[in-house]
Amino acid sequence: MKKHHITAIIFLALAGAAAIVSGASFLAMRKPDIIVPGPGVSEVVMLSNWYPQLKGTPGDTEVYILGKGNPGASMLVLGGTHPNEPSGHMAAILLIENAVMTSGTLYVIPRANASGFTHNDPQEGAPQSFTIQTPNGPRVFRYGSRATNPVHQWPDPNVYIHASSGQSLSGSETRNRNRGYPGRENGTLTERVCYGIVQLIKKEKVTITVDLHEASPEYPVINAIVAHPKAMGLASETVLGLEMQNITIGLEPSPVNLRGLSHRELGDFTDTLPVLMETANASQGRLRGRTDEALVLTGKDKWYVKAQKLGRLYVPYDENGHPLEERTGRHLAGITELAFSWTLENPDSALEFTGVPAYAELQEKGLGAFLRPLP
Amino acid sequence: MSQEFFIFVVMVGVFAAGTFALKWPVAVSMLLASVAGALAGGFGVPIRHLVEGTFGYVDTILTIATAMIFMNAFKDSGGLEALSAATIRRFHKIPGLLLVLLTFVVMFPGMITGSSSASVLTAGAVVAPMFAALGIPGVEAAALIAMAGILGMIAPPVNIPAMIIGGGIDMPYVGFEIPLLLLTVPLAVFSAFYFGYRFVKKTDISAVVRTLDTKTLDQYGGFRLFSPVLIVLILMVLDKALPKIFNLGMPLIFVLSTIPAYFTGKRFNILNSAKTAIEQALPVLGILVGVGMFIQIMTLTGVRGFIVVNALSVPPALLYLAIAISIPLFGAVSSFGASSVLGVPFLLALLGRDQIITAASLSLIAALGDFMPPTALSAIFAAQVVGLDGYGKTLKKLVIPSLILIVWALVFIIFSKQIRTLY
Amino acid sequence: MTIIYLGILAAVLALVLWALVTSKKPSFQATAAMVIVPLLLRLLLIK
Repeated sequence: MKKHHITAIIFLALAGAAAIVSGASFLAMRKPDIIVPGPGVSEVVMLSNWYPQLKGTPGDTEVYILGKGNPGASMLVLGGTHPNEPSGHMAAILLIENAVMTSGTLYVIPRANASGFTHNDPQEGAPQSFTIQTPNGPRVFRYGSRATNPVHQWPDPNVYIHASSGQSLSGSETRNRNRGYPGRENGTLTERVCYGIVQLIKKEKVTITVDLHEASPEYPVINAIVAHPKAMGLASETVLGLEMQNITIGLEPSPVNLRGLSHRELGDFTDTLPVLMETANASQGRLRGRTDEALVLTGKDKWYVKAQKLGRLYVPYDENGHPLEERTGRHLAGITELAFSWTLENPDSALEFTGVPAYAELQEKGLGAFLRPLP
Repeated sequence: MSQEFFIFVVMVGVFAAGTFALKWPVAVSMLLASVAGALAGGFGVPIRHLVEGTFGYVDTILTIATAMIFMNAFKDSGGLEALSAATIRRFHKIPGLLLVLLTFVVMFPGMITGSSSASVLTAGAVVAPMFAALGIPGVEAAALIAMAGILGMIAPPVNIPAMIIGGGIDMPYVGFEIPLLLLTVPLAVFSAFYFGYRFVKKTDISAVVRTLDTKTLDQYGGFRLFSPVLIVLILMVLDKALPKIFNLGMPLIFVLSTIPAYFTGKRFNILNSAKTAIEQALPVLGILVGVGMFIQIMTLTGVRGFIVVNALSVPPALLYLAIAISIPLFGAVSSFGASSVLGVPFLLALLGRDQIITAASLSLIAALGDFMPPTALSAIFAAQVVGLDGYGKTLKKLVIPSLILIVWALVFIIFSKQIRTLY
Repeated sequence: MTIIYLGILAAVLALVLWALVTSKKPSFQATAAMVIVPLLLRLLLIK
């Protein structure tokens, strides 16, 4: 055997070993989190129930129904639209594991982009999961990608053209669930998941839809509610209610010219009142330092503290960071307040629940106190 | 010294030592620099992270590989040489105009696809022999092609850096056409004259015409020989104009156009031609893979945040200087990466300006990343299509036009509101 | 379209492998080996 054949074999073996080690790690991401339904859950149904074409695809995802058949209004909560924004995912899980409806129906989709939970964005150095300690042992949750897994939808076009408006965005946005509404029946996987959610909203006549997000601290729309014009009244009442609890939150109208987002298209194409909520997540930001599980959980980051001092941020930022408890608590307080404001104005069509941890309670006891033991 | 600065020094140090002192391939130096950075950051040897970083460039790798295969096939069919002969025969009486026209020809694929590599590897390769025939030396020709490549990438209708920068603040890609034309067209005309005119003026083109070898051209006829390039152009335009029907993407367009090249001219072994193409492209593909690892480890260890926050922490008066220096430097990893990582925060820091013009100007500066080693895609490929051994001399020629480009873009940012009232 | 692109990717991967085994330069072989890893994992739809 010649020398260059030997080196060829060595390099091929190294490449093979790297592929096997990393491949095993990537494949492990496909195993979904365990969510333990609480006493309020009446039924767990797949999204394909409303749009059968999703059945068996990586976009199909669980819909947890609480208070099924109750009289009153209904609310759909979307967590994990962007799986790298964990407070929305965690808020959805805390609702599933704790909420009990006293009137009305709650639909919760904790993994609104199920495919996005199966991978991480290249060059972001993100952790694959984060662990929350509970009195009954650790619970592990996926930290995914902002976008659908390219393995499930590839290749991206050069330019993403939003189907119903013709608006152009960079090609990778074609896998962004929150640029795909109202979705397309025979579109990409991402568009089909959007379409499935729109079918759920239409068929179940969902009164209010809340899309839970996080934003990087340097992004102008943060610690805010973004509302469609027809949800503006409800959202302003909610903002006032939150201010009374000393939770500062901005109110932004949904821009007319930015298409494909839940707060715009769900309002235009369905009868639901759509709002989107944002909290501050350093682990998705451009200015962040070391990227690891601790950053996801605590939000503590010296570079963000420095950027705040330079006046580059749209949210207060100090050495205490913005822990996941605080961010999840803001979402849960927003959802509770939305339901409260709705019920106050529409007592004949109430939407009420109990069991959801209050903002202060969550800060004090931590997320783990409200997560159920694994079966 | 912060820990991030230390890690950064380790990474750059290992890279420089590997490439320059030990003469390792750039890709291998990037890999080892990434490993060193991860070790210094306390992450061990994170194989998952190293491999994950490379996936940022899988689509780029396919585009470059297929473009190279296409160009090699077109060259081996005799089409490339014949196209050059035919163009010079036709336009040799108006060399100044020819020069500018050829510069726009190089820009065209980039305008349609948003990729400077697509411009340089296709139209650049087609035009390179024409520049040679017009008397432009290789280094100047490569520099002009490289510059036309990045201007094509920034010129409308498709400008991916602008889409990325706009997307970062939820600004749709609407209303960019005029500012982008104002930014790029004057620079294109300037570059054509700056690099080429003094040579073209001196060359006796009628003598060049007399010595042209038109044997292949006469044997097969222009239309037949050039049809693969025409197919690429038609498919690119259809892809852009009718995305709902075509939506082929660059790699497929190149594959579809490579097949006819086998039948339209001289016979050649298509497998050997493709293998040679891959061998020529491999060093660059390897660099992309290495850069993917490098940037992943920079992000993981916090070096990326350290760079971005320090770029933003300059006093307001020096903000423009920070833009002018940091965005092209960071473009060493990729112009798209610089657009996202630095373009967005700088646009946010410039919120008082006209947003569209500012984003368009930042995208122009970000495009310079394609000149920045070690990736330097535009410059590397331009040197390659011209037939130069290395791209160092090409880069040196690009320094002054790049500075002019930066100043031009900064003028647009500073006077964005006034420029907005002009159209 | 995904299947067509996987086909293109397989062809590119095969050419890179061919270039690797026929090359006599270890530095070239090392670079080719690095390029193989992402192409292989995408072809197998793992990443």
